[in-house]
Amino acid sequence: MADAAAALALRAARPDGAAPSVRAASTPEVPVAGPTPAGPTPPGSAASEPADPVRSTADGRDGADRLLDPAHHLARGIDLLAAGDFAEALTALRTAVALGDGSPVTVLNLAIAEDRAGDVARARAQMRRLAASRPDWDEPVLRLAESLRAGGDMAAAEAAYREVLDRNPRREEALVALSGLLIARGAAEEARVLLLRCCGVNPANAEAWDTLGLALLATEAASLALASFVTAQRLAPDVLDYALHAVEAASLAGELEAELARLEVAVQESPLDAALHTARGVALARLGQRAAAIDAFEVAVALAPEAAMPVALLGGVLAHANRLREAEDALRRAADRDPGNPRLRNDLAAVLMRMHRHAEAREILSALRSEHGDSVPVLCNLANATACVGLQAEAVALAEAAVRLDPEAVLPRRTLCNTLPYAEGVDGTRLLAALRACSARLPRESLPPFHNVPDPERRLVVGLLSGTLRSHPVGWLTVAAFEMLPPAAFELVCLVQNGAAGDPLAQRFRAVAGRWIDIDLLDDVALARCAREQGIDVLIDLGGYGDAGRMPACAHRLAPVQIKWVGMQNHSSGLAEMDWLLTDRWETPAGFEPFYAERLLRLPDGYVCYSPPPYAPDLVPLPALARGHVTFGCFNNLAKVTPATIAAWAEILSALPAARLILKTHQFADEATAARLRAAFVALGVDADRLDLRGGSGHRAFLREYNDVDIALDPFPYSGGLTTCEALWMGVPTVALAGEIFASRHSVSHLCNAGLDDWVAGSREAYVALAIAKARDVAALAALRSGLRDRVRASPLCDAPRFGRGFAAALRQAWATWCAQHAAGGSSQPAS
Amino acid sequence: MERVHTTADADALLQKAALLIDAGRPAAARPLLVAARRLGPPTPTLARLGARLAMQDGTLDQARSDLDEAVTRTPDHAGLRITRAEIRHRLGDLEGATRDVAEAVILDRADPVAKAMLGVFMLELGRPHDAAACLAEAVEACPSEPAFREALANAHAALGDLDAAMAVLEHGIAAVPASVALRNAAILLCIRRRDFAQADRLCEAARIAGIADACTFGLRGHALSSLGRHAEAAGAYAEALKLGPGDPYVRHLAAAAGNLPSGTRAPAAYLETVFDGYADRFESHLISLGYRVPGVFRRLLAAHPRLQSGERLGPALDLGCGTGLVALAISDMAVGPLTGVDLSGRMLAQAAAKGLYAHLRQEDVMTALADGEARWPLILAGDVVCYFGALEELMQAVHARLEPGGWFMLSTEELLPHADGTLPGDGRWALLRQGRYVHHAEYLAGCATQAGFEIRVFERGVIRYEAEVPVDGFFVVLERVRHDG
Repeated sequence: MADAAAALALRAARPDGAAPSVRAASTPEVPVAGPTPAGPTPPGSAASEPADPVRSTADGRDGADRLLDPAHHLARGIDLLAAGDFAEALTALRTAVALGDGSPVTVLNLAIAEDRAGDVARARAQMRRLAASRPDWDEPVLRLAESLRAGGDMAAAEAAYREVLDRNPRREEALVALSGLLIARGAAEEARVLLLRCCGVNPANAEAWDTLGLALLATEAASLALASFVTAQRLAPDVLDYALHAVEAASLAGELEAELARLEVAVQESPLDAALHTARGVALARLGQRAAAIDAFEVAVALAPEAAMPVALLGGVLAHANRLREAEDALRRAADRDPGNPRLRNDLAAVLMRMHRHAEAREILSALRSEHGDSVPVLCNLANATACVGLQAEAVALAEAAVRLDPEAVLPRRTLCNTLPYAEGVDGTRLLAALRACSARLPRESLPPFHNVPDPERRLVVGLLSGTLRSHPVGWLTVAAFEMLPPAAFELVCLVQNGAAGDPLAQRFRAVAGRWIDIDLLDDVALARCAREQGIDVLIDLGGYGDAGRMPACAHRLAPVQIKWVGMQNHSSGLAEMDWLLTDRWETPAGFEPFYAERLLRLPDGYVCYSPPPYAPDLVPLPALARGHVTFGCFNNLAKVTPATIAAWAEILSALPAARLILKTHQFADEATAARLRAAFVALGVDADRLDLRGGSGHRAFLREYNDVDIALDPFPYSGGLTTCEALWMGVPTVALAGEIFASRHSVSHLCNAGLDDWVAGSREAYVALAIAKARDVAALAALRSGLRDRVRASPLCDAPRFGRGFAAALRQAWATWCAQHAAGGSSQPAS
Repeated sequence: MERVHTTADADALLQKAALLIDAGRPAAARPLLVAARRLGPPTPTLARLGARLAMQDGTLDQARSDLDEAVTRTPDHAGLRITRAEIRHRLGDLEGATRDVAEAVILDRADPVAKAMLGVFMLELGRPHDAAACLAEAVEACPSEPAFREALANAHAALGDLDAAMAVLEHGIAAVPASVALRNAAILLCIRRRDFAQADRLCEAARIAGIADACTFGLRGHALSSLGRHAEAAGAYAEALKLGPGDPYVRHLAAAAGNLPSGTRAPAAYLETVFDGYADRFESHLISLGYRVPGVFRRLLAAHPRLQSGERLGPALDLGCGTGLVALAISDMAVGPLTGVDLSGRMLAQAAAKGLYAHLRQEDVMTALADGEARWPLILAGDVVCYFGALEELMQAVHARLEPGGWFMLSTEELLPHADGTLPGDGRWALLRQGRYVHHAEYLAGCATQAGFEIRVFERGVIRYEAEVPVDGFFVVLERVRHDG
């Protein structure tokens, strides 16, 4: 923001009345040079005065004369200061002084240039000398205060600002800046007094009103703050921060709907005011009206296409609405307009990751790391992106670095818990320890006791907690189960993060939900209160620590009975408050209990019910019959493809010289990632020509590509989940390796559930041998494939009514257990 | 601290507004139009966009008035004429709309949209020959637009040339294979022609082409049911349910096919859809099914003590009255006035045409029973209970609406065991694949007595015939005992 504030004082206090000097001190556009008190959003300085420099060359003298004229160099220095070219300004102003211009204004301008581009200590000394020599002049002290503040010496800056006010009690810049410092150090009451004085001195000073609003907010007078911000906004309608501060204050004051109504009227009156439209968008977003917020931001962006903030806000809300391509576009535009803002680039990277463009995200995040150093959000995103391109060990190291950076924070530990299951050599005990370490750090609020009636037979209210009740593995693997719960015995309440209204699977969930509650705006405590108000008896978490997962809210207890099911169900939740984990005898055979924090609620068949898409292509005969060789395939996320997996696949391919391998994953859209994978195989003696690396595609096309595959190879330790089900539906059996953690046994469960137990290996060696043996029996493969869809359709994996009965019984069992404990007076979940 | 300055010009704002309107986002477009009005003079583009927004808002008169002014200012602008035609059409001014769009065709002979609109309006004016000519030109000019082809097929159908209509749709499917609308129109046309096998073939072709549409699968279920291929129909309804889970019609049929837990009654929206679609051939269809309920009701009612003693029975409430067949059957008896209740507006229209009812109300049975304080001496429910599974609430509600001594006459179908001896459903009631509920005799009687009724008649008999096989059921007369209430 400009130092224009200083101009007002210079006009009032300039010692010699020379017009150029007024402009000299007033016009430089210097970043962060204005008063910048700390607060929710730091205000800038007062509205800038447009520069109107008086140029000393206007007298028409020739070049040689001008070069010897200090006024020429002074004028040039002023222009350069105004343009922000401090180094050149410094040279020009030094020349002016050297040529004899020792006027206080020239010396002060030189000190300003020196402060920005030269020797700060010398600059401050010069300012102090000027201040000492002119005790009636407040400008040098003001400049000194600003230098000190910019240098981070807030105590000295505060003292200097006070001296300014001793010299000139009406000096607005000092009043505002000192107030900012006072707010930052918690002395908002004194700031209020100073700012009221400032507003009295100049009722048209928008920044003073805005800073007064911040002081009032800090003293918990949100309604008064709102009035101050609205005044600031009226005085300077194009300053977006004022409008946004008003929304913030309205929200804190509980007057957000009234503020929205005010903004509605305001945009009618001032339809060209992009700031008002932006503020309206923020208010709508806070009120949960996401679509309307997007509309409002679109209007603001259309009106002010050059501004960064409206398009950044648009990007944020689009990302929340899962409109990722539009979000990417908006965030890129915002980052272009505000390239120095690391948060915008981090947000952009996060959106790219959700679009499976992890390599691009990594580039952005790595650059941020280089430019700004390590920060927890960037490290965590980078860890996740790194895992997703198949660099599991590096990802774990990044997550561990984030943990070291802030050992008590939850986010780095969540990230670690999300990367560890993909890494080789992580056993159930280690993963459980990490999960417990994470969940132990979740905050817990003391909430009133539950009043659920402990009747084991009554109709139960079942809560679904998820950000992925849509076309997503959670949707495909759970929706049929919920559809089959008898409405007379169960009422479903969906607590939905990131709801996707138009999604076909979301509509299926909606159709069976008695209540559908958007929880985006609720923090964890508010979510817990909301769930309790709904009277939920059994809460099923379907998000874990994943994207849009709200499992941390379960630490506050949303219901007397809490169950972890699909949705980043890579192992235990580690959460003491999670009572049960829904599983089966293949995922967690007897004896696996010590690896879990929860009690194991085993379903009679598999732990999921796959609902195949209606658009799945028909099966084709075994491709090997026509091709004369077997084609293996793996369509899993690259995060699951570990070096050990690649080594095993290479061994299989080496044993079957004619065989080929198709790998299909979004990440191969990035050529560098694909090249790295090819190189890994080549290093193990597999010719790159035998690999077919394919990028992402639409779901139907994705399924159709199984028509090119004879046998699917499961990655390890993190096995395929939905991918294995889809392969089976497309007639392609999967060779799987059973591991110890939950994530390493998904395929085992699905294959056994479909009656394909003979496709599961118990060791890496057995896995390789099994794949080779299956590939050598093409006739058996062909026979299996031709009937596999019907077999899977008839199996418990897809038998929704059968699954529904077992599922209903399991929920009833969990509830009855609580009722029994409650009756015995020893509920394991007393009022928390 | 960021300052935001409006730098966009009116054209840019209008361009953006048009995109937003096309995307169905009027709330975003509206402020841009307001801003554009501040930035520049009125233009045809602004007028058209404003009118399109007004149409979405429903402020049609204002939109027409604005367009009248715009047309006066720029009379040779074909787009303005088209937009005004749309508004006039919405306002019911079909002739005015047709004049406008004809003018638009004259102003811009190359515009296929104007020609297509003219064709559609001609069809509505009952000029199918002209319509077919206009639409054929529109299709030729823009062969990839499915809506033009569908409208042309409609014109041929209106001319009675269903072969030509089918040919248009088939060519359209070949030209635009991803068009769900064209495929469904073709399937519907087959169903109209009762060519269910061809309808099924078209559905299968759509499935192979990757069309995933609830309507397509639902129509397939209908076609397969009509072909008696009930297991396959159940599969089709299951897929339809995945794609249209909120559709109560599909939902009920999917539940009936065993793909979902049964609801305790058929949804009102299902009944309304079924019977509205069925109204025109309802009576002839029931006659063909040997529907016996009205006649049996007449026989049973004749035994009513008051009628036996020559008294009038007084007002009667006919629940699910449909086209009024029961009323017709008892029209010469000393019963009345009659009040009929049904969900289907089209069925009620036919009932009204019989002139037998004093009052007809379009509402759900349970709503009708919950309304008001009236007590009836007679409540009739012919072929109604088969749309309820659990009967407890219905029995209690009817009981509460009967006078002491009042009669409740109902029919329902009997829950029979499977071949292996097991009972379908929960053993008390079950939802069968036709979308109708059946009830076990013990359950039916138990619900009646539990609600406070005395059973006067509990007669097993043939309700109707399905594929020439008798469908057994019960004719029941319940009496609210006199000392009760």
